[in-house]
Amino acid sequence: MDEPILRVEHVTKTFGGLHAVQDVSFDMAKGSIFGLIGPNGAGKTTLFNVISGYYKPTTGNIRFEGKDISGWPPYRLAHVGIGRTFQIVKPFAGLSVLENVVIASLCRYPKKKEAETHAWRILELTGLADRAHLPASGLTLAGRKRLEVGKALALEPTLLLLDEVVAGLNPTEADQTIGLILKLRDQGITILIVEHIMRVIMNISDEVVVLNFGQKIAQGKPEDVARDPAVVEAYLGGEVR
Amino acid sequence: MELLPQAIVDGILIGGIYITIAIGFSLAYGVMHIIDFAVGEWIMLGAFTGYYLNLWSHIDPMLLLPVVFIVFGIVGYLIQPLIHRVISGKKGNPVLMGLVFTFGLALVFRGSGLTVFGFYSHSIPAALARNSFFIESGNFFLTIPHIRFTGLFYAILITVILQYILKSTDFGRAVRALAQHREAAGLMGIDARRISSYVYGIYVGISAMTGVLIGCIFSITAQMGGEYTVLAFFVVVLAGMGYLAGVPWAAFLLGLVQSFFMIYFNPSYTLLAVFVILFTILLISPRGLFGKGV
Amino acid sequence: MTTTHRKPFIAGIAVLVLAALPVFIHDTFFLRVLTESIMWIGLAIAWDVLAGYTGYLNFGHGAFFGAGAYITAFLIKFVGAPFLLAMPAGGLAAALLAFISGIPTLRLKGAYFAIATWAMARALQQLALVLDITGGPDGMRLPPYLHPQFFYYVMLVLVAGTFALMWYLLEHAPFGLKVKAIREDEAGAMSLGIHPTVIKMQAYLLSTVPAGLIGGVYAYWITYIDPASVLGDLVTDQAVVMAVFGGLGTLIGPIIGAVIIYFFKTLFWAYLSDYQVLYLIILGILIAMSVVFLPNGLYGTLTGRTSGKAAIERGLAIETKAKTKEAAHG
Repeated sequence: MDEPILRVEHVTKTFGGLHAVQDVSFDMAKGSIFGLIGPNGAGKTTLFNVISGYYKPTTGNIRFEGKDISGWPPYRLAHVGIGRTFQIVKPFAGLSVLENVVIASLCRYPKKKEAETHAWRILELTGLADRAHLPASGLTLAGRKRLEVGKALALEPTLLLLDEVVAGLNPTEADQTIGLILKLRDQGITILIVEHIMRVIMNISDEVVVLNFGQKIAQGKPEDVARDPAVVEAYLGGEVR
Repeated sequence: MELLPQAIVDGILIGGIYITIAIGFSLAYGVMHIIDFAVGEWIMLGAFTGYYLNLWSHIDPMLLLPVVFIVFGIVGYLIQPLIHRVISGKKGNPVLMGLVFTFGLALVFRGSGLTVFGFYSHSIPAALARNSFFIESGNFFLTIPHIRFTGLFYAILITVILQYILKSTDFGRAVRALAQHREAAGLMGIDARRISSYVYGIYVGISAMTGVLIGCIFSITAQMGGEYTVLAFFVVVLAGMGYLAGVPWAAFLLGLVQSFFMIYFNPSYTLLAVFVILFTILLISPRGLFGKGV
Repeated sequence: MTTTHRKPFIAGIAVLVLAALPVFIHDTFFLRVLTESIMWIGLAIAWDVLAGYTGYLNFGHGAFFGAGAYITAFLIKFVGAPFLLAMPAGGLAAALLAFISGIPTLRLKGAYFAIATWAMARALQQLALVLDITGGPDGMRLPPYLHPQFFYYVMLVLVAGTFALMWYLLEHAPFGLKVKAIREDEAGAMSLGIHPTVIKMQAYLLSTVPAGLIGGVYAYWITYIDPASVLGDLVTDQAVVMAVFGGLGTLIGPIIGAVIIYFFKTLFWAYLSDYQVLYLIILGILIAMSVVFLPNGLYGTLTGRTSGKAAIERGLAIETKAKTKEAAHG
C-alpha cells in the first residue's frame, strides 16, 4: 500500500488524571473516507482536536504525508493542507458569507483579489453564492454548516476533518451534504469524518474506527465493524444499521 | 552579611501586608473573573477613612479596622451589581468592558481622593507603632517594629478566617462552586449574583482595612493607589490568577524583593525589578509559579 | 460615488481644508490648539486600533508616547541629531517596547496584557525619575524652535498619514479581515492558517509606533518634557476616554471622541484650572458611564455600527427584498 496520508501512532491525551484518549493508533489511506465513531464521551472530539493541532498529544505521534506533525499548531497545519470544521458552528459573525470564505482563502492566496476569486469558486461549489453578501450569522443552520465546510475547503486541503457536519440537518439537506462529501473524495481529498448519525457514516466510509472510553475497540470496513460484538455492546443496542 | 537576617525579616513582615491585598483580589477574580484596576484605590480610600476616623474620634486605628471593613464591605456589596451589569452585557467584549469599567472607577477614586484629601501625605498614629522588638545575639541584631509584626499577624488571621469560611461554611462552598463552574452552580440553586456581591464586598472590605494598617506602618497619599495596584497584580499573577494557595508564597517573595532592594540596592529600582520578574513569569509560566492559575 | 469611496473622499477633503487653514489663520494660539487636538486624534485612534479591533487594552499607551518623547529629546539635545531623524528614532523606541512587552503577553488573555502594559508604564515613569540622563524629576529642556506652522503641518501629516495607513490596512488589506476573524473566533481563525499572536503583534506595532512618533513631535514642539507630563497616567487616561466615549472598533469614533473631549478639556482648563483634580473624576465617570450606557461609544450608538443584531436585520431585509422581487418577476 502507498504511504498512508495520516498515521496516528499510539496517541494518548490526558487531562490531569483523565485519560481522554488512550493509545489510539490507525492509518488513513489517501483518497479514502474514514469514519470515527463511538458513544458520547468516547474521546472522538479530543482525538480530533489532537489531530488538528488544538491539543498536544501527551504521548504518541501524528504523521501527515510522512512528516511528524505532532504538536504543530492549527495554523501551521492549515498551511500544509489539513482543514477542519467545528462541531459548534461559529462563523465570523459581523462579516459576510463571502468575507468568511475570503479569510480562509487568504491561506493559499495571500493577495486579496485572488482570494476573492477563489472564494467565489468555493461559494459556487458549496451552493452559497446566492447568499454571498448576507451576514454570516443570518444563515440557517444548514447554510452555516455549508459555510463551515466551504471555509475548510478554501484551504485547498489534502486532508479534511469533518466534525458532525450532518447532524441537525433535515434529510434533503443531509443528502446534499453527503453528495458534497462524496464529490470531494472523488476530487482526491482524504476525509476523516466524525458523525453521530450512523446511517451516514456506515454508508459513505471506506473504513471506520470505533472508540470507547478513549480506546480503539474496532477498526475495519463498516459492515464488519457493525457486526463486531464489542461495538454493539458499546452502543448498548443503539442504532447500528 | 549581617544585614541579611534583617532583610529577610523585613521581607516577611511586609509580605504579610501583600498577602491580604492579594488574597481578596484573587478571590474576586476567581469568582467574578474581573481584574479590578481599582484595588489600589480601595486601599487608599480605606487608609484615608481610617486616618480621618482616628483624627475625629481618637480611637486607636487597630480598633477601627472592623469598622472600616464593614463600611467598605457594604460599599463593595452595593457597587457589585453595576459591575455585574457591565460584565454580562451582550455588546462588545464583556470581560474587557469590565476592565475598562474598573479602570474608569480607579480614575474616579483617584481624582476624588486628590480632591478631598489633597496632595498631602499622612500617617495614622497607632499605639502599636511606637515600639519594636529587639533581638540581639552576637553580631545578629534584629529590629521588629510592633506594628509590622501586627501586620503579619493580621495577615495570617485574615487568611485563616477566609480559609475557614471557604472550606467549612455553606457560603464558602457556594463561593468555590461559583468559582469553578458558574453555570453548573447556578443550576444547583446558587444565587450567583448575591454570592458575587458578597465576595466583592468582602474583597473591598479587606482591601480598605489593609489600607488602614498600611497607614499605620507607612505614610499615605491620595496617589498611593497606583503602586498598590501594581503590587496586587504582581502577587496575583505570580501566584496564579485565582489560585489562593499561591498567594502567600508570591507575597513573601515580593516582600523579600522589596526589602532586599531597600537594604542592598537602590529602592527606586524596586518597581523595575518587580516589572522584570512579572514579565519573566509571563514569558515562562503564565499560570504562575505553581502553574495553577486560570 | 460608491459608499466605499465616499469616506476617504470626505477624509481627503477634511485634510485639505485643515492643510489650508494656516494660510488664512495666523493666530498662534489657535494653531497650537489645532495642533494639540490633531495630536489627541492621533493618540486616540492609535489606542483604538489595538483595543477596539483586537480587544487588547493597552493601559500603558502613554509609555509609548513618553518613550518617543524622551528618545527624540535625548537625540536632539545630546547627540545633536536633526529632528527629522530623531523623531523616527522615537518611533523605533516605541516599537522596541512593543516587542518586549508584547511577546510574553499577546499570546495570553487580554487581562494579562492590560496588567502588564499598565505595570510597564509605571516602571518606565519610575525609571525616568531615577536616571540622570533623563534629567530625573526635572525632565529635559530642548532648544526652542518656535514655528507653530511647522509643527502644525508635521502633526497633521503624521496623524493624517497614520489614519490613512490604518484605514487601508483595516478596511482594505487582508490584515483587517484577519484581525476581525481573530476577534470573532480566535480558535476558528487558527484553523484557517491565521497566527493570532503575529497578527496581534502587528496591530500592537500599528498602535504604538504612531504614539511614539507623536511623542517625538511633542518633545520638539513643547521643548520641555518630564516624567509627570509625558510618562504619567494622564496621556493614557485621556486616550482611553476619547476612544471609548467616541466608539471602539471604528476609526471615526475616536476622532469624534478626541475632538469632543479635547474641546471639553480646553474649556475646563480655561475656566476651572483651580479644580484640576476634578478633571480626573470627570474622565473616570465618562469612561465608566460609557461602558455602562454607551458600549459602542457615541459614534457606534448613533450609526448603529458594530451591532451584530442590526447587521442581521439589514441582511435579512436585503434578502427578503430580493426574494419578493424574484417572485414578482417569476
